[in-house]
Amino acid sequence: MPYLRTIGQYALVLALALSLNFALPRLAPGDPLGYLVGEDVAAFLSEAERAAVLAEFGLDQPVWRQFTTYVQGVFTGDLGTSVRTGEPVWDAVVARLPWTLLLMGTTLVLSVSIGVVLGVLAAWRRGEGVDAWSLVVTLFCGSLPAFWVAMLLITLFSAELGWLPSFGAYELGTRPGTMAFALGVLERLVLPVTALTIAHTASVLLIARASMASTLERDFILFARAKGVPERRVFYRHALRTALLPIHTHVTIGFGALVGGALVIETVFGYPGLGSLVVDGVGARDYNLLQGVFLLATVSVVAANLVAELTYPLLDPRVRRVS
Amino acid sequence: MRGGGRGGRWLRRATVVGVAAGAVGLGVAVASAQPVPEARLLSVQNQEGPKTAEHLRIGIWNTAGNVTTYTIGNSWNDWVLWLVFDKLREPSPYVGARAEAWLATDIRQVSDDARTWEITLRDGVRWHDGTAFTAEDVAFTYAYYREGPANRWTHHASSVPRLEQIEVLDRLRLRVTSEKPMPNFDRITASDLPIIQKAQWEGVEDPRSFTDIGIGTGPYRLVDYVADQYYELEANPDYWRGKPLVDRLTLVMIKDPQTMFTALKTGELDGAARSLPPELVEPWAADPSIELAQAPSLWGAWLDINFARAPFDDPELRRAISLAVNPDPLLERVMLGRGQSGVHGWPHVDAFWTRPDLEVPYDPDAAAALLEKLGFVDGDGDGRRENPDGTPLVWGIKVASNQPLFLRAAEMLAPQLEAVGITTRIETLDPASFTALWRTREFDLRVADITPHGIADQDMEMILTRGVTSRAIREQPERAAIVTRWLDAATREDRLAVSYELQAYQNRYPERVMLWYPDGIFAYRWQAYDNYASSAGYGIYHKYSFLPNEVRGDTVEPLAGN
Repeated sequence: MPYLRTIGQYALVLALALSLNFALPRLAPGDPLGYLVGEDVAAFLSEAERAAVLAEFGLDQPVWRQFTTYVQGVFTGDLGTSVRTGEPVWDAVVARLPWTLLLMGTTLVLSVSIGVVLGVLAAWRRGEGVDAWSLVVTLFCGSLPAFWVAMLLITLFSAELGWLPSFGAYELGTRPGTMAFALGVLERLVLPVTALTIAHTASVLLIARASMASTLERDFILFARAKGVPERRVFYRHALRTALLPIHTHVTIGFGALVGGALVIETVFGYPGLGSLVVDGVGARDYNLLQGVFLLATVSVVAANLVAELTYPLLDPRVRRVS
Repeated sequence: MRGGGRGGRWLRRATVVGVAAGAVGLGVAVASAQPVPEARLLSVQNQEGPKTAEHLRIGIWNTAGNVTTYTIGNSWNDWVLWLVFDKLREPSPYVGARAEAWLATDIRQVSDDARTWEITLRDGVRWHDGTAFTAEDVAFTYAYYREGPANRWTHHASSVPRLEQIEVLDRLRLRVTSEKPMPNFDRITASDLPIIQKAQWEGVEDPRSFTDIGIGTGPYRLVDYVADQYYELEANPDYWRGKPLVDRLTLVMIKDPQTMFTALKTGELDGAARSLPPELVEPWAADPSIELAQAPSLWGAWLDINFARAPFDDPELRRAISLAVNPDPLLERVMLGRGQSGVHGWPHVDAFWTRPDLEVPYDPDAAAALLEKLGFVDGDGDGRRENPDGTPLVWGIKVASNQPLFLRAAEMLAPQLEAVGITTRIETLDPASFTALWRTREFDLRVADITPHGIADQDMEMILTRGVTSRAIREQPERAAIVTRWLDAATREDRLAVSYELQAYQNRYPERVMLWYPDGIFAYRWQAYDNYASSAGYGIYHKYSFLPNEVRGDTVEPLAGN
C-alpha cells in the first residue's frame, strides 16, 4: 500500500512535468519560424506564408491541440519531428544518448570515487593537513567556471602540448567496432571528463565529508571505540557504512540527472551529446526536440528518485522499520 | 595594422566589363567600371603550398541539415549549399556585372518593360544521379519557390520579383514573366536561386521533414552526414566545369569559435570557415603554419532603430540619433581597425550598387538641437533629457548575449548618446530571443549584424519594406513614393538611380545606423591546400576555391600577396 501511494505521487509529478515540458519552450520569446526561414526573412513574410511554414510541424494548430498531440505522442512513442534537422525527435535523442551516458557516466564514477575517498579521509583526519588541503583545493577547483576550465584544458593539452584532440567524440572516418574508433573515443573523452570531474567533485566531497564527520560524532562510534574496537574496523564497519547513506541518495539522483547532459561542456568540446542538442534546440526554439529531451530527463530523474526511495530501506534498517 | 585610409582599403581596380544590356555571356554595348573590394594575404610570410589535395577538413559552425534549400538559408553556411547546387549565373547577386554564365548560357530580356526574360540553358549538364538537367528543372524550381513553403530563397521569386508565368519553350529554353519590371533578373534572381531537381522534389510537400540527401548539379556530392556533426562530400568527377581540385571534403561542425580555431592551430582542421576575431589577427599573422587571407564578406554591424513604434517612427528623431553616433571609435576599439567605418551608411560600402558619395555625418551639436526641436528637453537641468510629456527618457539597447563585440559596441554607444542627453540602458538577451526581435519589434535600439543577403542584395532593399514593418514604411510618404518608383523602374539605370534616391533618404532618416563593415579574415593551413581565392560575400570558403583555376573566371578575385 505505501508503495502504491509512492507510485501515485510519482505519476502526479510526471503529469505535471509533462505539462511544464510542453509549456516551457513556448514561454520563451520567438518560435521555430525564425529558425526555419531565418528571422530576417520571417519578418517579411505574409501571414499566409508564415502559417504554411508552421503548418509543416503542426504549429499552426491551437495550443490545446498541440498539447493533446504531444501527450498522445508520449504514450505512442511519437515525439514529433525536429524543426532543426527534420528527423524524428526519438531518433535524434537515441543517437545522442549513448555519448551523453558515456561522458556523464564516466564523470559520475570519477567524481564520486574521488569525492568520497577525499571527503571520508578529510572527515577521518578532520583538522589535519589532508582535511584542509583537500577542502581548499577541491572547493577552489569546483568554483571555477567549467567552460573556462575546459578552455584552459584545450589550450594546454591540445594547442600547446598537442597531446589530445580538442573536439568531437570520435575520430571522423573511423567506424564503430574498430580499435581506431575506440582509441579515438577514449582520447576525446579525457578533456571533457576532466573538466566535468573538476566541477562535480567538490559537491560529492562536501557531502561525504559532512556525512562522515557527523557519523563520527555519533554515540555508537564513541561506544565502539570505548569498547576497544580497532580503528580500521570502526572506520569501515561502523562509520563508513552509515555515512554512505546520504552519498547513496546523491549518487542515485545523479544517475537520473545523467541524461540531462552537460550543456556548456558539450558545446565547448563539440561533443555530440544531449546537452549540446538542448542548446541547439533552445537556439532554434525546436519545441518538439526540447519536449523530447525534457521528457527523457524528467523520466530519468523521477525514476532515479523512485529507485533511491525504494532502495533506501534496503540499506538502512531503521527506515525499513518505520515503513 | 592595416595600411592606408578608407580609400586605400579598396583595391579600386577599374575593371572594364563588357555587359550586354540584359544579357549574360554576350559582351557588347555598355562598359562599366566596377570597383573590386580588396582581397589579399595578411600573413607575415606568404607561403607556397599545394594547389590540389586529396582530402580537406574544414570547420563550419552552423548545421547544414541534409544540404538542401530548406536546411540552409543563412549567409554563414550557404557556401555549403553551393558545393552541391548551381545557379543559372554565378557567383552571387553581390557582384553585379562581374559574373559567369553558369547553368544558363544566356539570360536575355525580351520585353521593353523588363517583365519578360528568356533563358537558354547549358547542354550536357547532369544531376548527381546521372539524369540530364533540363528546362523542366528550372521551371519547377522557380514555381516551387514561388508557390511552395517559404524559405530564405523564395522571396526572389514570390515577392521581388513575383514571377507570374514560367513557360518551358523547349528542352533547354524557358521564359519567365513577372508582375512588375525586373531589369536585374539575371543579376539577382538568376544569380541567387539554387536550381533543384524536379524529379527529387516533385511531390515533396513538407520539405523540412525531407531528409534525403539533396541531388544537385554542383562540383561536390554529399555522400554522408550526421546533422550537427559532419558532412562528407566527394568531388563530382563529371562536373561540367571541370573536376574539382580537392577530392574529398569533410566539413566538421564546431559551434564554439575558440575550439574551432584551436583545432585549426593543432592541425585537426585544415581550414576554419568563419571569420577570425580581430584580436587573433596579429598573433596569427606571424604563425608560419597558418595563412591568413582578407576577403570581402560583405557583412555589417548596425544600430537598429525600431522605427515601427513611437517615438522612433519620427524620421527627425532617427536623424538625431544618427547624428549623435560616431562609428569611427567603435571600429578602432571594438574591431581593432579590422573593417571599414559605418560612416558610409547603408547599404554595404562595397556593394556594387551603393551610391558612391554616401556619408552619414557625425554632429552631436546638430543632434542636440534636433532633439530640442522635437521636444526632448532637459527640463530639470540634470543633463538628461525627458520625453516631450515630461517622463524620463530612457531607451534600451538590446544585445545578444553571445555577441561580446556588440556588447562592447553598445557600451561605447551609450556615452555617445549620453553626450546629447539621451539615457540608455543596455540589456542582453539569449540569441534566439534577440533574433525574434525582428518580428516582435519589442525594442528601442539594438546592436546586431546583417548578412550580405540583407545588405548587399539589391532586391532586398524592397523586401525589407514588406512584412511587419510595411505599415511604418507606408506612413513615410516620401519613402513610399520612392519605393513605388523603384518597383516601376524598367531599366537597370533607372532602378539604380531610384536606389540611389532611396539610399540617400535612408541615410538621412536611418532605420539602422551603420557602425562598421567587418573585414572578412579567414585562416587556413597552407600545407594542406593553398589555392583559395576570394569571392565577394563568401570570403575564401566557397566552391570556386576548389575549381580548376582556369575555369574560375569572374567568380573570384585572386588573393594579392602582402
